[in-house]
Amino acid sequence: MIGSAQQRLTRQFSERLPDRKSVWGVYAVIVFLVYSWTLVTSFYKLPSWMFYLTIGQILSIYAYLFSLNLLESIFLLVGVLFLHFTIFLPLKNKDEFQARSILIVFTLLVSSMTRLLLYKSYESSEAFVNGELTWWILTFFWVALFSIIMPKKKLFRSIFAGVAERVLIFLYIYIPLSFISLIIVTLRNIN
Amino acid sequence: MSKISRRDFLKITSAVTVGAIMPGMLGSLSFRNSKRPNIIIILCDSLSARHMSLYGYSRKTTPNIDAFAESSTVFHNHYSGGNYTTTGTASMLTGMIPWKHRALNLGGLVRSEFVGINPYTLLGPDYYRFAFSQNPFPDRLLGQYNEDIDRFLPPSSYSLQEEVSPLRIFDNDRALASIAIEDFLLPIQDNTVAGSALLGYINKKRILNNTKNQKIIYRHGIPEVLESWSLISYLNEEIYSGIYSELSRLSSGPAPYFSYFHLYSPHFPYRPRNDFLKLFRDDGYIPVSKPLHPLAPGIDEKFLISQSALYDRQIAQVDDEFGRLIAKLNEEGILDNSFLIFTSDHGELFERGFIGHGDEFMYEAVIHIPLIIHAPKQIKGEHVFALTSNIDILPTILSMAGKKEVSDLDGRILPGFGGQMDEDRPIFSVVAVDNSAFGPIKKAVISMRKRNYKLITYLGYDNVEQMYELYDLENDPDELNNLASKDIKTLSAMKSEFFTYLDEANKPFWKK
Repeated sequence: MIGSAQQRLTRQFSERLPDRKSVWGVYAVIVFLVYSWTLVTSFYKLPSWMFYLTIGQILSIYAYLFSLNLLESIFLLVGVLFLHFTIFLPLKNKDEFQARSILIVFTLLVSSMTRLLLYKSYESSEAFVNGELTWWILTFFWVALFSIIMPKKKLFRSIFAGVAERVLIFLYIYIPLSFISLIIVTLRNIN
Repeated sequence: MSKISRRDFLKITSAVTVGAIMPGMLGSLSFRNSKRPNIIIILCDSLSARHMSLYGYSRKTTPNIDAFAESSTVFHNHYSGGNYTTTGTASMLTGMIPWKHRALNLGGLVRSEFVGINPYTLLGPDYYRFAFSQNPFPDRLLGQYNEDIDRFLPPSSYSLQEEVSPLRIFDNDRALASIAIEDFLLPIQDNTVAGSALLGYINKKRILNNTKNQKIIYRHGIPEVLESWSLISYLNEEIYSGIYSELSRLSSGPAPYFSYFHLYSPHFPYRPRNDFLKLFRDDGYIPVSKPLHPLAPGIDEKFLISQSALYDRQIAQVDDEFGRLIAKLNEEGILDNSFLIFTSDHGELFERGFIGHGDEFMYEAVIHIPLIIHAPKQIKGEHVFALTSNIDILPTILSMAGKKEVSDLDGRILPGFGGQMDEDRPIFSVVAVDNSAFGPIKKAVISMRKRNYKLITYLGYDNVEQMYELYDLENDPDELNNLASKDIKTLSAMKSEFFTYLDEANKPFWKK
């Protein structure tokens, strides 16, 4: 009796676990967003680095960037998985995981990027602090709304699955690069 | 072949082990030529000569420094190469005019081809080389010389938050880690966007909230340094005690050593200790009123005067700590074989509707800095009135250390230390924060001091009525009477000389 209840519980739980492909898809989107942002913003700095630093030093700077990006992307993935296993676990439909997680990550990162762009100068720090609460309340409202409604529709699910599939290639580029970067950073910092 | 005894074997193995564990220590034991003097630089950030009683300020702000000067050489017309930290400090460390070393922008670095020109590399392993900057900008500049510094303390040393930055795990690769992480991925006081979308955001939020909280915790005001990782609160008493312990430690080792202390006070925020708060109150001193500058934010004169008084109190506290330090150093005979150089990187301005440094202001209070050098066993005071610049510090240090001259330097050995006076020498101070560091100088404010005249040129500023300001500092020390439209002959002579220098400096960049 107890055994079958346990089995049922385990089955119900495992039915709600996202499959590995969906997790990789979400991670690919995270990696794409995180690394692309760093790369694009680094291009503004690159001319000055080229002036002050040697090529080897610039590559080392990119090693630091990719290493931190790797940590940041893992941190985000852990975050969405945590959400899935806590808040979204009762929603049953594990097919929604990918679409929902991509939506959450996308909104969170784009919102953060927008605020960084809007309040980039130190002078605007007061405005940055003051308007923060309203901004994030609105952001979380939209995230909550969309992450529950949109993944219910098959059309949206397939759109997000398509996006995840297309950005998967970035995993094959950025992740090995990040591991090489980690080695470079480690070597530069040991005596 | 003689047999090695067990004792000898133990001696050898322990020496080898120590050598393997502490290669730096063994290196430091191997160099030393005790005939060379120690060289100590104590630099107080934002200390204007115009606010020091030593240089004729009517408030007695620096009684201890005045006393120290009685047995030292005082340079009365000493200028910084820039009007804010990065440019000013880089000029001192490289011995070059800013348009050459190119550390022009906020947090900028020295051009890679000139990185090897600095006291640390040029003094070489003959010296034990020490560096400490409370201000993160010079810390980054020093990071470029990391490999040649034997002991390099982080900005939070001797402060109330010694633990501070987890980035210290990258201490072996300080300059690059600082550029990648502090300057790019997680910046807070830069006009560039954070390179990390999420962590950059979280860090910015954390710092700004921390700033808010610190204001609540220290409502009576503890001085702070704004570092990109956090806000560092410090007490001058502890900083100066730290310098004393460091110098005691260095002096007990096998001399000689070169040590550079870049101290934040009296930099803004001006927060003197309580016992200095009443100084100069109701002393009747009212600074000369000056016209509003077209580029100034138009700060109320009353506020300027009150801030100026607060700044003077902060200087008085710095002076008090400095006096305490000198007394202890003298007591222990640490200065007997040491040159002590006391100076600043730039001054501070409280006039024409502006407070602080940087921006487009090149008036005396912001570029005229103190320079006092105490030579080993010097007992008589000397006074040098020739025009000098902080680009002269590096060649002078090299001369003190008996090192050969370096050809790339713009600076010269200071008069009184082997250098000659040259009345025709122009002295330049440059601010080009908005100018590309890797292009010709097109947007900048540059001061050229020659004899008793000073020419200020505004390059690329459309909103300034007059491109030039010309002052006769001998007859008009407060820079109130602009002679640009009155003394055409002097103006054109100085303009012509100025542009000859500037065109020469810009040449390599036009080609690119």
